[in-house]
Amino acid sequence: MLKIYTDTDTDLTPSLAKEYGYTLISMPYSIDAQTTYPYVDFETFDAHAFYDRLRGGVIPSTSAISKEQYIKYFTQDFAEGNDILYVHLSRAMTTTFDAMDRAVAELKEKYPGTRFEEIDTKGITILSYAIVREVGDLVKTGKTLDEVLAWARTEVDKFAMYFFADDLRFFRRSGRVSGLAATMGTLIGIRPLIYMSQEGKMVSPGSAKGRAKALDYLVDKVGELGEDIASHRICIGHSDVPELAHELGRRIEEKYGKQEIVYVDVNPTAGSHCGPNGVGVCFHAVHR
Amino acid sequence: MLDAELYLNLIRGGTANLFRNRQTINDLNVFPIPDGDTGDNMYLTLESGTHAHGTSLTEMADEVAQGMLLGARGNSGVILSRIFAGIAKGFKGLEKADLPALLKAMQMAVDEAYLAVSQPVEGTILTVLREGAAGAQGATLLEDFLCRWIASMKVALEHTPEQLDALRKAGVVDSGGAGLLCMAEGMAAALNGTEETAGLAEQSTEIDIDAFTEDSILEFGYCTEFLLRLQRSKVDLDTFDEQVIKDWLSAHGTSLVFFRDGSIVKVHVHTQDPGTVLSKCREWGEFLTVKVENMSLQHHENHMDTRFKRSRKALATVAVAAGDGLTQLFKQMGVDIVIESSQNPSVERFLQAFEQAAADTILVFPNNCNILLAANQAAGLFKDARVEVIPTRTPGEGYFALANLDAEQPIDTLVQTLTESASSVTTGYVSQAIRDTEEVRKGQYIGIGGKEILATGSTPEQVAEALAAQLNAGQADILLLLQGADVPSDAAEQLQAKLEATYPRTEVILHKGGQAVYDYILVLC
Repeated sequence: MLKIYTDTDTDLTPSLAKEYGYTLISMPYSIDAQTTYPYVDFETFDAHAFYDRLRGGVIPSTSAISKEQYIKYFTQDFAEGNDILYVHLSRAMTTTFDAMDRAVAELKEKYPGTRFEEIDTKGITILSYAIVREVGDLVKTGKTLDEVLAWARTEVDKFAMYFFADDLRFFRRSGRVSGLAATMGTLIGIRPLIYMSQEGKMVSPGSAKGRAKALDYLVDKVGELGEDIASHRICIGHSDVPELAHELGRRIEEKYGKQEIVYVDVNPTAGSHCGPNGVGVCFHAVHR
Repeated sequence: MLDAELYLNLIRGGTANLFRNRQTINDLNVFPIPDGDTGDNMYLTLESGTHAHGTSLTEMADEVAQGMLLGARGNSGVILSRIFAGIAKGFKGLEKADLPALLKAMQMAVDEAYLAVSQPVEGTILTVLREGAAGAQGATLLEDFLCRWIASMKVALEHTPEQLDALRKAGVVDSGGAGLLCMAEGMAAALNGTEETAGLAEQSTEIDIDAFTEDSILEFGYCTEFLLRLQRSKVDLDTFDEQVIKDWLSAHGTSLVFFRDGSIVKVHVHTQDPGTVLSKCREWGEFLTVKVENMSLQHHENHMDTRFKRSRKALATVAVAAGDGLTQLFKQMGVDIVIESSQNPSVERFLQAFEQAAADTILVFPNNCNILLAANQAAGLFKDARVEVIPTRTPGEGYFALANLDAEQPIDTLVQTLTESASSVTTGYVSQAIRDTEEVRKGQYIGIGGKEILATGSTPEQVAEALAAQLNAGQADILLLLQGADVPSDAAEQLQAKLEATYPRTEVILHKGGQAVYDYILVLC
């Protein structure tokens, strides 16, 4: 039997996870040495309260989960001999998968008959979210593990995510975004534009002056790179700026017609790296 | 014959006269608002030359020039320092100077001063200097020289409003030229023995006790600095979080600079009540040193302790900011050294900042057109790094130029990009008129864009709105509204809301700039 897993960095909520049959691996963040596991330590994510704390000057950190924690998640399915598929955030963005690799190697030795596969979404937040839901849809309609993996081989690179952020301090803390000025801190009004590359890394092609130009950029990208957008969800993620997210949605529909648009709160672990007031869009594209 | 001692005495006489008249010269401002500082700049620059020693005229003139080179502030101060550099060139090799040598040196001073300005404009200090030197030709005695020199400068100064329309409109003569004349008159008085010159050199530039009299009101508070040793009997040294002290100080003062190094805490804070600050801090430790100065007297500049010098980096940024909010803004952007300055920073202050920046390449953002020359002069003097001055004329230009800083670009490209992005910014200022002119009445608010008054009105908000329209705010992507120190927040927020409604595609951002003089600075990009 096929068992599917994903993690909380993909923005998938427990109710949706349940609907698709996903087991949700919780990826933690820490504020003032206090570690929080999303949907383990709380039931619903209060995005407004979380991002307001960040606005107040708090800069959270994130940490990798341990080998033991992965073993705990996977042991039962390994023991029962189920096929396991883990659809996860970008390997290029975290060291957590080193621990997972060691856990899986150990479990494989113990349960050699079990098949463990993964789909690297080469993304985080809405980009992973879009792929996780597409995979969930395929599994729901009865596709086999091999069919899903074959789909992923061509399709993962066809989900593009573009977003803009408000405060570079968060990125500076969490490492490099290539193209972003390393010396920069808070910028009022100037919004760095960022996309997820084919390699699963954040790249900044530049910045936009003012909210209107930043939104223009995202709307134009959907038109420029979009492919068959009408038959895929358009996911709009935001870190506590719902009005801006809906403005983006409105403008996309104004320009490209009625779409299935899903609005998502960026999860706190990803939000620890991008800060509050960010908005992004994920859509089906010719390439990233 | 002019010898070393007489030369220095003349300069001291000039300094004393400039000191007395500096406010009058400050007020010779093209715009009728209290942001003129030519008198202060020229006085402080000249004063920095009065500490010279030297037995021969050559030595003395060199030292005077060297002192002024470092002490130069503001554009007029830089030009003044170049005048004395020219004179020093003229005196080269001389024990004493006779009249022909003095006249030759004056001509070299004129040449040197013109070189300091990339595009010399007539109707300024340069005209007054040149005409004065020309008028002094033919003099045979030093008294005669000074007399002719002063007379020709007076005539030249009176004609400056005919040469510069801005002066004519404002009904003033050129302030730099007036400063130069004032200096010359002080020199003449020194020669006649009517000018007090003794003791001037001993007077510190940093402290001016006349700035706080029996009737003064404490306006700026006290600059309070101390080293506090945390005491084991008062706190648990292993777990103590200095944030507690920091938070308390932030709530009770401004311009906080705070470091902890082991059990020693170094604090610099501006407060109205140093007594309370000191009593409170004794809850955590005892003082090693304490220094408290009335800031009305103080020209505070350099608070960075050299012990906390950072390791050398490839690229560093230095920006000048006037006002707490602007300082904060540049610090948040990640600028390495922010020169907090209510007065124009001297060349020497820039050199200290370059030293602190400790980098191979230093980018300087002067953020005020009256600071550009001093920044350039400092850049030319500093040998330990490549220093590039990005000619940002306003804080807004500096802000948006910095937003385009991509440290990975080659320096030449970077300098070009930054300069271009600065020039794409428009800045407008709102301030209150302090005298009547052709265009405005005293007490009215005026909106200034470029070199012109673009709007007038009875409230700063009304003028800001009109100014925004004049500056085509609707075409801008961002309008950064810097709220002045004296502007109430609700008025500023209402203005922001109004501008947002008028220009829906422009993002209107309100930031507490905390600047003096200007109720609002509008930055459009």
